[in-house]
Amino acid sequence: MIRKALGHMISCKDASRLVSRQEDAHLPLWQRITLRLHLSVCAACTRFERQLRFLRTAMRKYVE
Amino acid sequence: MPFAPRSAMPSTNFSRDLDQHRGYLLRVARLQLRDEALAEDVVQETLLAALSGSGFSGKSSLRTWLTGILKHKIVDAIRRKQREPSVASTFGDIESELDIEDLDGLFKDNGAWEAKPAEWGDPETAFSRRQFFDMMDFCLENLPPNTARVFMMREVMGLETGEICKELAITANNLWVILYRARMSLRECLERNWFADKAAGA
Repeated sequence: MIRKALGHMISCKDASRLVSRQEDAHLPLWQRITLRLHLSVCAACTRFERQLRFLRTAMRKYVE
Repeated sequence: MPFAPRSAMPSTNFSRDLDQHRGYLLRVARLQLRDEALAEDVVQETLLAALSGSGFSGKSSLRTWLTGILKHKIVDAIRRKQREPSVASTFGDIESELDIEDLDGLFKDNGAWEAKPAEWGDPETAFSRRQFFDMMDFCLENLPPNTARVFMMREVMGLETGEICKELAITANNLWVILYRARMSLRECLERNWFADKAAGA
């Protein structure tokens, strides 16, 4: 399973799209695994994920 | 005696209560629609609907209930505008905002970040600064108009993606693209104009 997942490592570009998409929908299991795997080794995309969460909070605050 | 006084009295108070929320509703509508006259119209429609309807159960706050009505009025207005073949309208063809090739510049050919997202520290502290929200305003203004509207429908109005697709007659895939573009662009704008300064000043 792990080896198969590693064989499917995604790029930061693909990961950034999945990070955005998971804000709006529940990702299929396979996409969640490949994304988590990528994030576990990528500090930049981990920051990106945190920043998108922050963006959501910021938008709520913005209209308050 | 049965109903005349009962319906007259509370409605006066009720309309006064409603009016207290007008400013808030107008602000949300303006942000969402980017059209002053249209924003005034939807808020007026919302308050009228609230007055004539008896849907307020008191289970949620009055503001939440009004925002719910406003949400529908805004969606109706956007849908109406989209069908209008008006040149002057900023509600142009949404298709023209679907190209994300310009965002490809953010990544190298192998899909790695061209410039990695920076460390923002503890970004929530920005909420105590009024200037931060001015910056958000600036960054939102820089989005293509329909991209901004769709993003606001999702993040401010809290509509589910299925609803947005249905209301705007766009595919789920197009919606992902629009939301992705909005987030990439806002993130980049805030990093460049706000968080970069913070990091440099720290």
